[in-house]
Amino acid sequence: MAEGKYIYCIVENSKKVNLGKIGLGGNKVYTIPCQDISAVVHDSPAKPYESEDNEVVKDWVIAHEKVVETAWEKLGTVLPLGFDTIIMADKEKNPEEIVKDWLKEDYQSLKEKLEKVKGKAEYVIQVLWDTKVIFHILIEKDEELKKLSKEMKSKPRGAAYMYKQKLEKLLRGRLEREAERYFKEFYGRIKACTDEIGMEKIKKEEEPRQMLMNVSCLADKKDVKTLGDELDKINNGEGIFVRFTGPWPPYSFV
Amino acid sequence: MPIDINEDNLKHGLLGLVIAIVEIIRDALKHQALRRMEGGSLTDEEIERLGRALEEIDTAIYQMKEEQGITETVKSVRDGLDDLVDDVLDRIINPKTREEETKLKEI
Repeated sequence: MAEGKYIYCIVENSKKVNLGKIGLGGNKVYTIPCQDISAVVHDSPAKPYESEDNEVVKDWVIAHEKVVETAWEKLGTVLPLGFDTIIMADKEKNPEEIVKDWLKEDYQSLKEKLEKVKGKAEYVIQVLWDTKVIFHILIEKDEELKKLSKEMKSKPRGAAYMYKQKLEKLLRGRLEREAERYFKEFYGRIKACTDEIGMEKIKKEEEPRQMLMNVSCLADKKDVKTLGDELDKINNGEGIFVRFTGPWPPYSFV
Repeated sequence: MPIDINEDNLKHGLLGLVIAIVEIIRDALKHQALRRMEGGSLTDEEIERLGRALEEIDTAIYQMKEEQGITETVKSVRDGLDDLVDDVLDRIINPKTREEETKLKEI
């Protein structure tokens, strides 16, 4: 008898199902139902999965996500749980009973959360721009910058270098303002097409590309075409790129 | 995890660190030169001399990085410093979100 249950997610499904040996370390994954919801688990020792080898951890996390996705496809609406959620046995009860008790006790709140994400999926949207292209657009639009860039060309080498520094400094300031303006605009447009939107951390990109925004949003699977169309329009902007991934199980919204 | 130190990667890392610091000093110099130029306290000839000197520093740093193959090391030192400063500033500017985060962790 295993002394713990590793929980992947909660699904809206009342059946006792065996999903096969798809768990962490090839463990058998199955459901523990309680009323019309179930926990998706595998039998696990009562200690967390830990390793100093990043590759091993990566494989585990991928396996975790795969199980959540499989449950989502085969069993219905899911509430994903974080990696390494393990319920342990205590003196009186075995882990299966504890899982059942938990489902029973929190039934109402779990049901509400499931209801919220029903028929919906998470999408991750990253908007990037090419600073080189944007620089050119800015210089064309801006009289002060245009003048400076002309002046620079007529100067001797040393002074031209200083002018170049000045131009770059001004451009950086303008770029920041533009970034803010674009961000507000895109955020509003994306928000209008989704139910919920959450900020993710901006990541570093290969120069001259920069990430302007990184958001995850919750959208009805039926509405995804509207979102896609809006993103196409954003993507058509000069020097702007959109990365769009999904549908994912609603990791960020439970 | 044991740290793997040999003569090569030690030299590499140390040089990267030194050049990163030199770059930061250069940036500060540039900033000051620019302020003076914009403030109008420099003659044309002084601007020309400053510009040439700074350009030479740029070239020298670039060549050194290429020759020693430390362009990436220098970049990662500077990115690391940037992240550190970012983090500190974020803590000062958004004390609230920080508090919430710590609370969440405590739970």
